[in-house]
Amino acid sequence: MPPKRRNHDIIEVENVGMDVDAEPDSDSEEEARRRSRNRRSKSQRKAKQVSEDEDEDEEEEEDEPPRRRGRRKTTKTDEDETPQRRGRGKRTKPQDSDEDEEGDKRRAARKGSKASKKKAAKETSDEESEEEKVGRKKAGRAVSKKEKEEQNKEQKGNVKGKDGENKDKKKKKKMSSSSSSSSSSDSDEESLSEGEIAALKEQVEEKKKLIATLRNKPWRMNKRLSLLKEAQDFVEKFEGALGKGKGRRLYAFKVMMTKKLIKFNRDFENFKTACIPWERKIKEVESHFGSSVASYFLFLRWMYGLNLVLFGFMFGLVVLPEVLMGLPYGSIPRKTVPRDEEDTAMDFSVLFDFGGYCKYSILFYGYYNNDRTIGVLQYRLPLSYLLTSVGVFGYSLLVVIRTMARNANEGGDGGDEGEFIFSWKMFTSWDYLIGNPETADNKYASITTSFKESIVDEQENQKDENIHLRRFLRVFANFLILCSLGGSGYLIYFVVKRSQEFAKMDPKTLTWFENNEVEFVMSLLGLVCPPLFETIAELEDYHPRIALKWQLGRIFALFLGNLYTFLFALFDEVTAKLETEKSIKNATEWALHQYYANYSSFYNTTDVPPPKVAPADVIRGPCWETGVGREFVKLIVSDVQVTYLTILVGDFARAFIVRFLNYCWCWDLEAGFPSYGEFDISGNVLGLVFNQGMIWMGAFYAPGLVGMNVLRLLTSMYYQSWAVMACNVPHERVFKASRSNNFYMGLLLLVLFLSLLPVVYSMMTLAPSFDCGPFSGQEKMYDVVIETIDQDLPAFIGNIFIYASNPGLIMPAILLMILAIYYLNTVSKAYQQANTDLKKKMQMAREDEKNRRNNKDSTNQVMKDLEDLMPDKSLAPPPAEEEKPPEVVIDKSVKPTKTKPGTAEKGVNVQKEVSLAAPNPRRPVTRAPGPRGGPPGNTRSPQPQPGKGRGQGAAPRR
Amino acid sequence: MGSRASTLLREEEIEEIKKETGFSHSQITRLYSRFTSLDKGENGFLGRIIKIPESPMCRRVVVSFREDQVNFKGFMRTLAHFRPIEDNEKNKNPPTSEPLNSRTNKLLFAFRLYDLDRDDKISRDELLQVLRMMVGVNISDDQLGSIADRTIQEADTNGDNCISFQEFIKVLEKVDVEQKMSIRFLH
Repeated sequence: MPPKRRNHDIIEVENVGMDVDAEPDSDSEEEARRRSRNRRSKSQRKAKQVSEDEDEDEEEEEDEPPRRRGRRKTTKTDEDETPQRRGRGKRTKPQDSDEDEEGDKRRAARKGSKASKKKAAKETSDEESEEEKVGRKKAGRAVSKKEKEEQNKEQKGNVKGKDGENKDKKKKKKMSSSSSSSSSSDSDEESLSEGEIAALKEQVEEKKKLIATLRNKPWRMNKRLSLLKEAQDFVEKFEGALGKGKGRRLYAFKVMMTKKLIKFNRDFENFKTACIPWERKIKEVESHFGSSVASYFLFLRWMYGLNLVLFGFMFGLVVLPEVLMGLPYGSIPRKTVPRDEEDTAMDFSVLFDFGGYCKYSILFYGYYNNDRTIGVLQYRLPLSYLLTSVGVFGYSLLVVIRTMARNANEGGDGGDEGEFIFSWKMFTSWDYLIGNPETADNKYASITTSFKESIVDEQENQKDENIHLRRFLRVFANFLILCSLGGSGYLIYFVVKRSQEFAKMDPKTLTWFENNEVEFVMSLLGLVCPPLFETIAELEDYHPRIALKWQLGRIFALFLGNLYTFLFALFDEVTAKLETEKSIKNATEWALHQYYANYSSFYNTTDVPPPKVAPADVIRGPCWETGVGREFVKLIVSDVQVTYLTILVGDFARAFIVRFLNYCWCWDLEAGFPSYGEFDISGNVLGLVFNQGMIWMGAFYAPGLVGMNVLRLLTSMYYQSWAVMACNVPHERVFKASRSNNFYMGLLLLVLFLSLLPVVYSMMTLAPSFDCGPFSGQEKMYDVVIETIDQDLPAFIGNIFIYASNPGLIMPAILLMILAIYYLNTVSKAYQQANTDLKKKMQMAREDEKNRRNNKDSTNQVMKDLEDLMPDKSLAPPPAEEEKPPEVVIDKSVKPTKTKPGTAEKGVNVQKEVSLAAPNPRRPVTRAPGPRGGPPGNTRSPQPQPGKGRGQGAAPRR
Repeated sequence: MGSRASTLLREEEIEEIKKETGFSHSQITRLYSRFTSLDKGENGFLGRIIKIPESPMCRRVVVSFREDQVNFKGFMRTLAHFRPIEDNEKNKNPPTSEPLNSRTNKLLFAFRLYDLDRDDKISRDELLQVLRMMVGVNISDDQLGSIADRTIQEADTNGDNCISFQEFIKVLEKVDVEQKMSIRFLH
């Protein structure tokens, strides 16, 4: 037997060793509990010995961790004691029992044998008085009665233990694995932690002792009764934890459930974190490049989410129904490539330009049919098309505004938290659980970055010298930028005008430059202006965070020009197309009319079949909606190409050259001219914002655009995060982005409005093409809605709409809304005011407390008055230091002994400290106690240390 | 091996450790097996030559064991700082001696990580050393010095240009140390 056991032990040790890192396997734990409970109830009337045998065997086979642990524990005690015995021979029993008392007493007690009772009594006799012993005996009897009930219930009445034999018994239990009287209850207990059980046992034991000795306490009856009741309740309640009493099952269950719940919650939190896409990627970027660059990626991720939802709308409500239930390709003219385009329709160059088959595909507006309902579901596709397009805008607005509001809340408290910025960073930033060198590297980087960010913030705080020069420079810079903006605006205007003139001429007579003048000028401006702005912005010397906002705003203004020209050109195109369409429409109508007239006169019948023409041969209009959609799609695609190529050439190739040509070059490429690129936050953010604007505008004319954008953002995420990690270097001044990137959101909102306008305008005023798209045949696009209201909804709803659209109703509604906005605005302002007031108060209180703690004035009123009288402290001669009270000198002499010698030598560089510190809040505050007059008898200050306040308390008073 | 491990750990030792650290019996035995697996010399002590994961900050933790050789009791005592505070311990009437995992003791442990020369004060030099461990060579010495100065300036209330333990507690008043400095030990 012994060798076998040893084997067991080895395995167990190893298992247990690994367990340290693992979660307790609570599933199997629960299972074990359930099983053992079932078995217990089943085998209640069985012969005890047998059932216990089974228990033991089965549980051994299952190899459950909790059980294992329990056994491990007992084994260990066995093993410990065996040599002990052998070595020291027979130790005296009382000693042994004393040692084991903690662990074994309860088990022994649970056996409920008389012996154990006696033992308990014996033990207590050492410590307690004679009367107490009597009481104790009584209590013991009471307890043992309870225990006996328990035993009867559980068929565990084998009286075994004389106290000295406890170990033997355990050993026997172990070796024969048969007679463990408490195996099942043990496994129950394992669901609680060992420590909890021990603590509870102690408590219950205490209470029991209290009950027992209560009679002898010199208290009043009332108190005794209440105490007794309390103690009894406690015992009743928590005995459950010990595996006896009424509440046992309930208690065990409760404990188990709470544990499960906690574990589940923790797992769920982990799961939630793991589910956030790209979280690790972004964190990595953040740790190397700071929160400012990370904010771009967060924005990108947010945008991706938004686009995913928009794509869901578009795809689920418009594209999918048309694909599943609409007519197939080639059935009607609008779904067929025209005859004269058929030859080139599959050419790559044409497809790449989104002509040919692409043009007559589900991607574009023109493909959709104008049947009121399609398929077996009677799905109203035109209506759904319109509502979805509007809904996309509505949803985007809602989300953007909600995000802004939420960010505003967050931004409020996050800005200037607390006073111990550096201390917290210093003492709490390292994660001591990091065991992986790569993670440690990241942590280094992130700590470094965060320190740098804080330093920049700090530098910004104390920069206030020569305010007039700075103001002048800022005004001057803004003037310059306004000039250049105005100049570029005029340039664009000029070029567009010229191009309109060119458009009227024959394109063959124009040169290539004249044809592409607008695009050329636009891209030139986009190339030159941002660096120019950045250069000018250096005059202003803003904090980089604010500078970024200005830069964003300025480039935004420039890009607006871009957008404006694009829309302008597009609108011209649309009007031209509308003209041609009108003529074609007239021509086809006339032809049809002719056909009908001829047919009826020829066959002399009014029942005229429609003309038999192949769908590809039908004459059709230009379908301006599809044209607009194509323009947008082309724009997006070319934008993607340009962006990706720029990254590849401007960042990757540059980094490549700088890195590898550096070995054989005449100057240091890495430190010198080309160097590595920095990540261009403003450009990327604006690119993203305008891209989104294009999507919003184009989604109506090309439903497939949203899907393409989702793809673009997805690749962008991977590509850019790779590029930034591989080819870029962190900014020279890493700065902390404000946690709420509300500025980005604000830009997005503006672009959303700007892109909303043309779409709604075209929906409301322009006539849809007569032969393509879901609204063909209607006067205006929104007629679909009116038609639905008229035909499909009950009449009174139509009436309601008519009333609601009455100007007499709309005007008051708008007025009401304006009033509400005004009111809410006022309220929010008031709250803001209150907020800042409270903040100020808190700050004051904090400073006040600080002052009180090291108020040197409290001991030295005369000195303070003297200082107040001094005209200019900063100009006061150094001898002022000598005027300080003698205590200072004493303290100074003491200091070197306290601190390390190194510190004393270098001392704290006061000059530097002052430069790093924010002097504004500190200076006046150290002086403030003067007027307030900290009385000499300020008892609150624990140890008034004169002349030593706030590190440089007295020293700077020169 | 397993049997040898258990022979080294006596029952009375377990009881003692249990009392001192508040770990449960099974936790102690499990941690002991862990300890023996770390103990390459197999002599019941952990020498200085444990292979520490790369980060230098972790080395500080080892230094904080305070002795050149760590026996199991010292090992457990250190680990006890990281035992989470349990609910039933909170509402129990305060015991005579503060448990090792109390907030103050946790903070004291953290404090000692920074107090390199064990004079119960964190001086500027000590801060600088720790800072260098934390950020490597990425920040210039000037700036590191400024950071250290600034840290002391923030935390120092009695003006001795050092951070005492009291000041340390004050600084970390709002940090959830109980939760942050806890490791879940298996029961």
